[in-house]
Amino acid sequence: MTSASPMPLSFSREIFATVSPAPYLLANLTNVEGEEYPRRTNSRQTDEFRLPIINVNSLQHCFGSAVVRTGDTAVVCGVRGEILHSSDIANPPNVPATSLHPQSGTAGSDTASPAQDIYEIPALNLLVPNIELATGSSPAYLPGNPPTALAQTLSQRMLSLLHSTRLVDVNDLRILYQPPATPEDEETPDVSPAVEIKAYWTLYIDILFMSLDGNPFDAAWGALLAALKNTKLPRAWWDPDLEMIVCSDAISDARGLNLHGVPVSVSFAVFDTKRHKGMGEKDMAWVLADPDTFEEGLCEETVTIVVDGLSSNGMQLRRIEKSGGTIVGKDIMRSIVGRAAKRWEEWHSVIGQAGG
Amino acid sequence: MAVPEATLSHLNRADGSATYSSNGYTVVGAVNGPIEVQRRDELPEEAAIEVNIRPAVGVGSTKERYLESILQSTLRRIILTHTFPRTLIQLTLQVVNTPAPFDCPFTSSPLPLLPALLETAMLALLSASLPLASTYTSVGLALAMPSPVKKKASLSATAIMPIDDKALEQASSIHVFAFTADGDLLVAESEGLFAPEYWEHAYDRALELCIGSKDGRAEGEMVVEGEPEDRNESQWLRSVMQEKAEQEQRWKT
Repeated sequence: MTSASPMPLSFSREIFATVSPAPYLLANLTNVEGEEYPRRTNSRQTDEFRLPIINVNSLQHCFGSAVVRTGDTAVVCGVRGEILHSSDIANPPNVPATSLHPQSGTAGSDTASPAQDIYEIPALNLLVPNIELATGSSPAYLPGNPPTALAQTLSQRMLSLLHSTRLVDVNDLRILYQPPATPEDEETPDVSPAVEIKAYWTLYIDILFMSLDGNPFDAAWGALLAALKNTKLPRAWWDPDLEMIVCSDAISDARGLNLHGVPVSVSFAVFDTKRHKGMGEKDMAWVLADPDTFEEGLCEETVTIVVDGLSSNGMQLRRIEKSGGTIVGKDIMRSIVGRAAKRWEEWHSVIGQAGG
Repeated sequence: MAVPEATLSHLNRADGSATYSSNGYTVVGAVNGPIEVQRRDELPEEAAIEVNIRPAVGVGSTKERYLESILQSTLRRIILTHTFPRTLIQLTLQVVNTPAPFDCPFTSSPLPLLPALLETAMLALLSASLPLASTYTSVGLALAMPSPVKKKASLSATAIMPIDDKALEQASSIHVFAFTADGDLLVAESEGLFAPEYWEHAYDRALELCIGSKDGRAEGEMVVEGEPEDRNESQWLRSVMQEKAEQEQRWKT
């Protein structure tokens, strides 16, 4: 019996990727034959993002909703409002009556950003983002399990960012009541009775992942932004006879939210050959924009920055989150901010077009 | 900047422990490791790292999960996890004291607590004598823009202060940095409103506070009994460790 000649040792791409993921990514990034730039395993360039696709107001029972897709990461976001009565608040925040105007909220009060804004939303938890990963979006997050550390972390990052960017104006969430002038007041006609805050809108922002292929935060934040931009709150007022809050069901009465700026989140991951075995002699590192799940598994260092290009002072940063490694220093951060500025334009125009 | 206080190895049952207090925050940390790991958390080639943060009041919430995730990814880079495959290194941080809450733009932010947590983790790891790739030091800074009315505020007019109650009241952005002993940026967390130049400005100041002056002076040349202005975090860390080593070597003399 003749022995068969030994099979040449060669793998298909898929097997190579499964057996030794880090050298596979390295081989892709260093193999530039016939290519002008190194390409990643998903055939994107190192600084290439996935284009977001946005659909808005596809959910009927929400006050506002959006579906965002970047590559194979797909997210649904729904915003629903509930009324929080002032009488139910144990320690109501002390809001000076002079800052309340019954008509405000209809006009774009972009300049008015009184300090009081800052305290009411966090103190009363008027914005409640929640992220659900356990929907079958990825094999790592099976349905029916309690929220994982990642889901909780993402929810907290959303909440922090909502608070620190002051995206939602508290004036839009207040339900005010101007008591009519009583006979005693008529003796001093100049002084009208003080405006009262009867209730607040609380916005529950639920974000469900339909499919997760890396970079959950950017997609979730984009969905939140698009959903809030298209959120319409029904007109609500205090009815003194019924002694309750009444909402109008006429769509013409409903009004949108005045959002402060357009903060856009941009994420990067750093692939560092030093952190893996069998990667050759030379230490190399790449900053990969908008990483997918395969790349996230190989990258320990991540950078997320939130930029806003709408401000009058040029491109402003709203947040920097970087941890897990030492590759990104001052210089790389500078180039990352430059790339994030380009990405902001992209999101801004996509969200603008989606707004119907 | 107030000098932080630290006590090392004061918990008898833990492999390593430390208490750190600075700017009104006090954190107790304990490290156990390498210990047996649960099957689902086991990693074939390195030690798993578990971080538990307990708040001063109540039970842990998403805020603690978020801080845990920052610490976990940082420590994975610092601890030489490859030396203990298929084990667990467990770090528990209990916040004991926080400054009294007051109304300011960053009341709900988790960041002011982060430097104290990072420093406590470092001290506890040193106390446990786990093999580390490097040490790190952390600092929190608050930036206050002179006035929002001015369109172009100059860099020099921007006040940079360590995070405390007074600074938070007028801050427009807060920044937390951690640098390795070599001066590499390990953690950078910022929030608020700021331009890229301001972040770089804060970076320079933080590096100075953590490592010392920027001219790359060799570490051995630093004087331990320096002037208070010369004090930096890594120097402080070294003096704490020196004190501990001296105390432990007392029996020899």
